[in-house]
Amino acid sequence: MNVRNVKLILGREIRDQLRDRRTMFMIFVLPILLYPLLGLSFLQISQFMQEQPTRVLVVGARDLGELPALFENDRFAAGLFKEPERARLLEVKFESDEPRDEPPLADPQRREEASREKAERRVQTREFDAALCIPPDFSERLSLFRQAMKDRAANTELGDAPNPLIVYSTAHERSMIAFARLSEVLGAWKEQIVESHLQASRMPVAAARPFAAERIDVAGDSGLRGAATWAKILPMLLVLWAMTGAFYPAVDLCAGEKERGTLETLLSSPAQRSEIVLGKLATIMLFSMATAALNLIAMGVTGWAVVAQFPALGSPPPYAVVWLALAMLPVAALFSALSLALAAFARSSKEGQYYLMPLMLVTMPLVVMPMSPSMELNLGTSLIPVTGLVLLLRSVLEGGYWQGLQFLPPVAAVTLGCCWLAIRWAVEQFNAESVLFRESERLDVGLWLRHLHRDRQPTPTVAEAVFCGVVILAVRFFMGLAMKPPEDFDGFVMLTLASQLVVILTPALLMTAVLAGSAKQTLLLRRPRALAVPAAALLAVVLHPVAVQLASAVQRLYPITGMEAFAKHIEALTKDAPFWQILLLMALTPAICEELAFRGCILSGFRHLGHKWRAIIYSALFFGVTHAILQQSLIAALVGVVIGYIAVQTGSILPGMVFHAVHNGLMLSISRLTPATVERWPLLGTLMYRVDDGWSYHWGTVVLGGLAAALLWLWFGRLAYTKSPEEELQEAIERGSEEKDED
Amino acid sequence: MIHVHGLTKHYTDLRRGKIVALEGVDFHARSGQIYGLLGPNGAGKTTALRILSTVLRPTSGTAAINGFDVVTQPAAVRRQIGFMSANTAVYDRMTGWEMVEYFGRLYGIPDDELRERMEHLFQRLKMDDTRDVLGAKMSTGMKQKVSVARALVHDPPVLIFDEATSGLDVLVARALLNTVAELREHGKCVIYSTHIMREVEKLCDRIGIIHRGHLLAEGTLEELRDRYRERDFEELFFRLITAHDEAHPPQAAPATAGTQA
Repeated sequence: MNVRNVKLILGREIRDQLRDRRTMFMIFVLPILLYPLLGLSFLQISQFMQEQPTRVLVVGARDLGELPALFENDRFAAGLFKEPERARLLEVKFESDEPRDEPPLADPQRREEASREKAERRVQTREFDAALCIPPDFSERLSLFRQAMKDRAANTELGDAPNPLIVYSTAHERSMIAFARLSEVLGAWKEQIVESHLQASRMPVAAARPFAAERIDVAGDSGLRGAATWAKILPMLLVLWAMTGAFYPAVDLCAGEKERGTLETLLSSPAQRSEIVLGKLATIMLFSMATAALNLIAMGVTGWAVVAQFPALGSPPPYAVVWLALAMLPVAALFSALSLALAAFARSSKEGQYYLMPLMLVTMPLVVMPMSPSMELNLGTSLIPVTGLVLLLRSVLEGGYWQGLQFLPPVAAVTLGCCWLAIRWAVEQFNAESVLFRESERLDVGLWLRHLHRDRQPTPTVAEAVFCGVVILAVRFFMGLAMKPPEDFDGFVMLTLASQLVVILTPALLMTAVLAGSAKQTLLLRRPRALAVPAAALLAVVLHPVAVQLASAVQRLYPITGMEAFAKHIEALTKDAPFWQILLLMALTPAICEELAFRGCILSGFRHLGHKWRAIIYSALFFGVTHAILQQSLIAALVGVVIGYIAVQTGSILPGMVFHAVHNGLMLSISRLTPATVERWPLLGTLMYRVDDGWSYHWGTVVLGGLAAALLWLWFGRLAYTKSPEEELQEAIERGSEEKDED
Repeated sequence: MIHVHGLTKHYTDLRRGKIVALEGVDFHARSGQIYGLLGPNGAGKTTALRILSTVLRPTSGTAAINGFDVVTQPAAVRRQIGFMSANTAVYDRMTGWEMVEYFGRLYGIPDDELRERMEHLFQRLKMDDTRDVLGAKMSTGMKQKVSVARALVHDPPVLIFDEATSGLDVLVARALLNTVAELREHGKCVIYSTHIMREVEKLCDRIGIIHRGHLLAEGTLEELRDRYRERDFEELFFRLITAHDEAHPPQAAPATAGTQA
């Protein structure tokens, strides 16, 4: 890697982009123009959005006698509103002021009913937004009640006399607003009436209000007032702008260059593919960060005036700038690498633009999900790409620094891992002749499927290996939704067998049969060398203390929550079953099925990458993700790396199967170990000791086991393994570049 | 200088399955020689030259340039060659001077030496009019000159020209052919691919006739005329192609070689 070339390419690409009017407009001019314009429009529109008055018809007595005033100057009394000027929001019309078409009915009850029905009709026809009907004897009845209180009469019950009635309609939004306003006014009026009753009966007014809760917002002192809202908005905007800012330059730098015919010029220059990718990536990152920063700044400046209208929102937390700037780097790196790989795949700028939508569709849920209050930063969410980062950012913006620090390692690992994968993908795209010199082909699914079978290689391709892994995960997901937790041991056996045979083994075998020319080569069905099988079994035994310590460390760091009941249920189902059945079901069956799928079909496909370690790690990641519980997945992925290494070095599936079976068998044994067994076998007592939830190994055992495992690992490393053609080519290229360096 | 042995390139086509773009091609070229690769469209010329310029990898066979293998030492090979084809365009948003300077720097030429060499090149190729003009505003001839200067800026021992005169008018094409002839005088090894027989007759010291991925005949113009007892080169070319097609009837329309991999 020549850093000088990367800098040269970066410099050229930046100059190229700066000379492109469209890019300059999108990145620098648009935010500066757009946000003030949006702000202006918002303020303009907000004039129309001011609260509009609602019209209320009042039916019934206008004069309410001794009661506190409900009306003054033909409006509701200003004192009944929290803010007196809001009184103008309820326009009042008294039915009694209207001219009468017909003489009033004699019967007061019928008269009242007729008035109410008329009010209902008038609200229905939207002549009024709401109506307030006060019964004719309302004030008299309350006066009687007050008198009774004054006289300390025994019976101060109000009886079932009619209450005021609000007529409104939920079919009409203004009517609902009028209803809310009327309710507020009547509530305040009720309080005044209660107070006047208490005064009349010489009781302290405070009796009606035994307490009033006070509140204090501690966020105010720490400068974090309203941070929760900003903590949701800012990370989302950062991600979306970083993505948009990366995508357009990426399309121009890759697909555009293909289209203009300059890519081949560059490819035939001394710059290596990785230098070209890094140069372009750095350019895209720069533009992505510039876009995100400029948009956030332009929006911030414009938004200041607008936000000032809503004091409850508060200004963004003061350190937000620092956290956003820190987060900007990985976010921009991730989306730049993704955009670069997608853009490299596209034949033309037009095709490149089409890929923005799928990228957006995948990203949006990952960005929007963390906005939900129920979504919190924990081990599970921190391992979701983008979501983890957004949650971490949300957490530190809300001032949760300790929580942020605790989950920084998984978030950083996942984000960096994704960045690395995306960059690798982009480099692969630049190395793939089929991508660089792709021609348009008619979409013909039948033809493509025939081609997959007809032109198949002895082992699956990388894409087919990924597809196999994804199919296994998808089937597992849908089966998980469809299957119910087992009720007895037979049900548990069925569930385990189904998940191994249907979910894992069947897709792998089907894909091997259809897409691979040689099942023997794909599934590594070869006789291993004599010592490989016992060595693998021994490795599983000596590695067991390390695995147990690791599992308990993961468990301590990220406790499993919400699964206790399920784990207890499964334990209860299996505790009476014979141990050999458990071993057959949970050690031997997975060892066969999972090995054929992950170290057979998937690992063989990844070997076409040309790097055995990449193949081992990718297949181990799929192996890990297939495990249901996250904490298990972490350990499984590490175990997957060990088995993958054994499979590659021995060229046979069998030693890996034996390792897998012994590893699972030992894990099951330790969970069933009783103090009585340990007493019977004193050696066990010297190796391990009892802890709350089971058994743990002494540190000496762990260290000795680790050393023995290292020796066995070295032994496997010394085996001459069969390389894939791509691995041989890669080695030849590395030798070639070394020779050149020596020259 | 250039040793190509058993060069084969296959790729997969959805409809037709395995497609042979090159099959066991052998040829050698040395310094001070122009090697002409003559063939109809889709013969495999571009594929062969893309392999020599390390843009594509062969399915099998070897090719070495100045002792460096195109597969295992691609970076070293690219330093030995100047590659120019119809597919190596100039940047729209760079001036002629900037573009040549950029590639000169990628070749690691020190600044002083680069400036001196560029002044010399721009003078020799009469490129003063392209110096400060952006690629997007250049005429086809101007672009072609910039491409030649770009391919020559690091003074490589081997030059590869793939259909270099396609789309050029007679005047510009003639100037380019003169430049190529001058390169031979400077002791360069030039590979020149074309489908235009006149250019081959005028320019090339050795000629390889390629058709449907196979090298049908190879030698100097005189050797070929004597071997096939045909003075008219066009007639000779046509006879070879027809004989090959009769012996190996094409099963489907010829692929656009080199554009698929």
